[in-house]
Amino acid sequence: MKISMRWLSRYIDLSGITAEQVHDDLTMSTAEVEGIEVFGGELDDVVIGHVVEREKHPDADKLSVTKVDVGDGELRQIVCGAPNVAADQKVAVIQPGKKLPGNFKIKKTKIRGLESLGMICSESELGLSDESDGILVLDENAQIGKRFVDHVDVLDHVLEIDNKSINHRPDLWGHYGIARELGAMYGRKPKKIDRPVKIPTDGPSLDIVIDDAAACPRYLGVVIRDVKIQPSPDWMRYLLSAVGQRSIDLSVDLTNFVMLELGQPMHAFDLRKLDDSGIRVRFAKSGETMNTLDGQERKLQDSDLLITSGDRPVALAGVMGGEDSAVAEDTTDLFLESANFHPATIRRTSTRLGLRTDSSARFEKSLDPANAELAAHRFLTLLGELCPGARAAGPIVDPAEWRYEPKRVGLRRERLDLKLGHEIDDPKVTEILESLEFDVQRDGADFDVGVPSFRATKDVSIEDDLIEEVGRMFRYDNIPEQPLVSAIVPPPREPELYLVRQMLRVGASDLGTHEVYNYSFIPDAIVEACGDGESPHTIVTNPVAPENAKMRRHVAPSLLASLVLNLEQHADDEIRLMEDGRGYHPETRDRDGLPHEVREVAFAWTRRSGAHPYAELRSAVETLLERVAFPATMTESFGTTMSWMHPGKTVRIDRGEHPIGCVGAVHPQVAQRLKLPLTTAVATLDIRAMLRTERRDLRYDPISPYPPQPVDVALLVETSTQVGTIAEFLRTCGKKLVRSVELFEVYTGEGVPNGKKSLNFTVTLGAMDRTLSAKDEEKFLGRVRDGASEVGAELRDAGS
Amino acid sequence: MDHRKDEWLAAIAAADDSRLRELDGELFGKSGDLTALVKGVAQLPKEERRDAGRAANQLKAEIQAAYDARRQELADAALAAELAAPDFDPTEPGPKHSRGTLHPITVVRDELVDLFTSMGFTWQDGPEVESDFFNFEALNIPADHPARDSQDTFWLDDGNLLRTHTSPVQIRTMQRMKPPLKVIVPGRCFRQETVDATHEHTFYQMEGLVVDKGVSTANLLHTMKTCLREILRRDLVVRCRPGFFPFVEPGFELDVKTERGWMEILPCGMVHPRVLQAGGIDPEEYTGFAFGMGLTRVVMLRYGIDDIRTLSGGDLRFLRQFEEVGR
Repeated sequence: MKISMRWLSRYIDLSGITAEQVHDDLTMSTAEVEGIEVFGGELDDVVIGHVVEREKHPDADKLSVTKVDVGDGELRQIVCGAPNVAADQKVAVIQPGKKLPGNFKIKKTKIRGLESLGMICSESELGLSDESDGILVLDENAQIGKRFVDHVDVLDHVLEIDNKSINHRPDLWGHYGIARELGAMYGRKPKKIDRPVKIPTDGPSLDIVIDDAAACPRYLGVVIRDVKIQPSPDWMRYLLSAVGQRSIDLSVDLTNFVMLELGQPMHAFDLRKLDDSGIRVRFAKSGETMNTLDGQERKLQDSDLLITSGDRPVALAGVMGGEDSAVAEDTTDLFLESANFHPATIRRTSTRLGLRTDSSARFEKSLDPANAELAAHRFLTLLGELCPGARAAGPIVDPAEWRYEPKRVGLRRERLDLKLGHEIDDPKVTEILESLEFDVQRDGADFDVGVPSFRATKDVSIEDDLIEEVGRMFRYDNIPEQPLVSAIVPPPREPELYLVRQMLRVGASDLGTHEVYNYSFIPDAIVEACGDGESPHTIVTNPVAPENAKMRRHVAPSLLASLVLNLEQHADDEIRLMEDGRGYHPETRDRDGLPHEVREVAFAWTRRSGAHPYAELRSAVETLLERVAFPATMTESFGTTMSWMHPGKTVRIDRGEHPIGCVGAVHPQVAQRLKLPLTTAVATLDIRAMLRTERRDLRYDPISPYPPQPVDVALLVETSTQVGTIAEFLRTCGKKLVRSVELFEVYTGEGVPNGKKSLNFTVTLGAMDRTLSAKDEEKFLGRVRDGASEVGAELRDAGS
Repeated sequence: MDHRKDEWLAAIAAADDSRLRELDGELFGKSGDLTALVKGVAQLPKEERRDAGRAANQLKAEIQAAYDARRQELADAALAAELAAPDFDPTEPGPKHSRGTLHPITVVRDELVDLFTSMGFTWQDGPEVESDFFNFEALNIPADHPARDSQDTFWLDDGNLLRTHTSPVQIRTMQRMKPPLKVIVPGRCFRQETVDATHEHTFYQMEGLVVDKGVSTANLLHTMKTCLREILRRDLVVRCRPGFFPFVEPGFELDVKTERGWMEILPCGMVHPRVLQAGGIDPEEYTGFAFGMGLTRVVMLRYGIDDIRTLSGGDLRFLRQFEEVGR
């Protein structure tokens, strides 16, 4: 919202206080000020001239040729395009070599062949309004040759207040409220807004019926006669213009002026268009329609509050007036509405219709019903001054009998000190609250505080609200900081968070994997490509794009999409990605009725060609789980619960009886649909499943003082035989002497028949109590030779 | 004998490293010339032995000295040559070390987690899909509250929503744990926004909550200023001004002074009594403060990232740049 310094000065003496100071002080105590604009600045070069002659330009219909006297004894020729220029006017003139606002330098020119020595200015050229129909014509008292700014004093500084920071303060949506804050800060009491001109006790009026007092706590209406359509006085036009409000005519400008002054929106109806039966405030009937001032037809619902006349909607309450009861050029008699509406009702209607107006923005902040009355009087007072003859023709009708019983809130001394952490003495507390128009009574050491009506609708209702008032006016920066004092207790650790953190670190540093953050939303195309379209998904009803309405069930599909993107964008042969993320399962609900969230750390590794990365990823996952103390086995088939995994080439990751994830090759059809190489491997680890198992408690293993005895063993097996089976067999053969079994080669080729492969292991034997002898090795090999056939193997070669 | 002396000295003087090793054997070995010479003395007539022995030993010592000197000379030259390193190419790369990276948000988050846990805070998180109650109601944002406007919410088909801030975890923590509480909650949040270089519908916040007996605004100011100094790693000018958030009372904005003016960095405030009540804590017995930090924003400031979309893009050309694991 824009606040004019000049406007503020109507209520409070700001002499000696700059706009910059007000900017800083408001920011530190009340609301954020985002900047200062200058209005009517850079006009020092503009002088007052007298149009002595005006003729039509010989070669252009729309141009005039003028002779202008600027007080230096010469008549200068200026060509002017404004339709309203005429002889004998006093005008604002800028001469060649001088500047207008915006660093606009004026030059001597020729216009359609005639020399023009300067320019006669319009208000918009002077920066005094957004648009103007012609040049600015000054009053007759203007002295030729004098500086424009000495005649028309318009210079103003306009503060831009961040609306978000006054959402909770309905009283700050007008200049008077800001003046009140400044009054408290500077110890200068703002002038009271004058109370009424005389209002007749009888005369014409309209009856007012309010159907629902909660929706409309107050509705004042008054009939006004003999309004002349006329422009507003300059001072008002410039104030309105400074805060970005276009001037229309006096009656419209007055409603805007009072709104920007007191924060109270009002509406003027053309009395002729209203039914004699009066005004009724009621909710719309479903399906009812009306045309608003902007010419739009609005379809209404039964939650929309209406102002009706003869049961016809004439205004959308608190949002916008109706088109056919609007004030016209020949309107002389008005019905003025000054009302108070239920904030949420107004907000719902304006949000639903996408119709945010200055009026609805204010009503939804919870305006003070007392203000409605003050504003009506204020309007009539100003109208009487500015439009002699115009007057309230009858009484102000105010059926609601609204009365404010001042709310009282206790403020305990102890509580004030505790919450601020600093003791502010009694006189200061009282001074602050009273300067903000609170009524302060003492109650022992405590305070009993009466809340003024303009702060009572929303903002101040409990003790803590008063503590804020004292704190902000004292200024938080004046409170000396104090360290927190607490017992030294190690904070409890959330195992899930730390486990994931460790897994990511191992993933990055040990496994060479890059961490990705993907959205929780997953595009329909990816879901379909992954064959998961049938699974239940959590759906966003207002997605950023319709094809992005699904929440992912698992992390891996997002990662596959990331692989695709990277393969398209650069030439790397190999890409390794991981992600810590959540999947959402709507079919399972937690205690609060929320969809079950699974937390997963997933890996996706791809290679454009060459060996399938499955085995590497499997080893990597093995390393990862060892590193984070959750060693697992990976031998059993995973099955088909993840449709993007190869059903025959995916193994379950088990910790004892408990599955905690899977690792495998991507499903060939999924790879094909996504245009991923078949050589893509994926692993998913379910963090919460991991944590349901016991973490390995690492124990030291004593080191044998006797040398180890490595024995190489080559076994011939069917190609379908698993390495794991044979390794386990070798382990059994070596009994307690086995220290490690490691595969160093899978050999097929010369000497190995078709359909077979040779698995070449190094088995390291050793004992704690002696050096092994050749006999031990022979015994071991003997058992291997004898038992091999049981696992479908044949000892091919062995030796140390 | 002397006729060979010059020959030997010349050979030593001319020898390179390997020739010198050969000479060692040829001269001083079991059957070396000088060994033979000294041995030969024993064969001489007794009266000649003494002089001849002395001469032979003297000659051997002389040759030995020359040999040692030459060896030292060659060693010195070799060391000098090694140190001169004319063929050394410091720019020649070694084999690539395959390494991965953590996402920059993870890096900065972990740093903040370390900082706050070192001060006794607990790291917490909560669900990303939230109910209206935890995301709004319990935080003193009733239906039709205008504050809901600025938090364009993603609504779900089941009536739940995606959390618009990490603040619901305040309530969840209070319901689960007894005060004293010192908690931080870094996490993913969502707002229905059109994505461009500075707006994202998915972003990261870090919430903080302290609840104990006697916690005051003065404590909040001290804690927040200490944290900001640590996070931004410099001494700072900080100001505290009123800020409005429904779940605190009073509420503040902490601004940091920069070359380009004041920068809004840390909204915070004293926990609203109604919020404490929603968390099952008696506001008469306990007070507390809460703060919220734009984690995404801290990350962007730290690394000078000017396009917020890169953070969720998953493009390796971006991710690979973040090789540091934290500070």
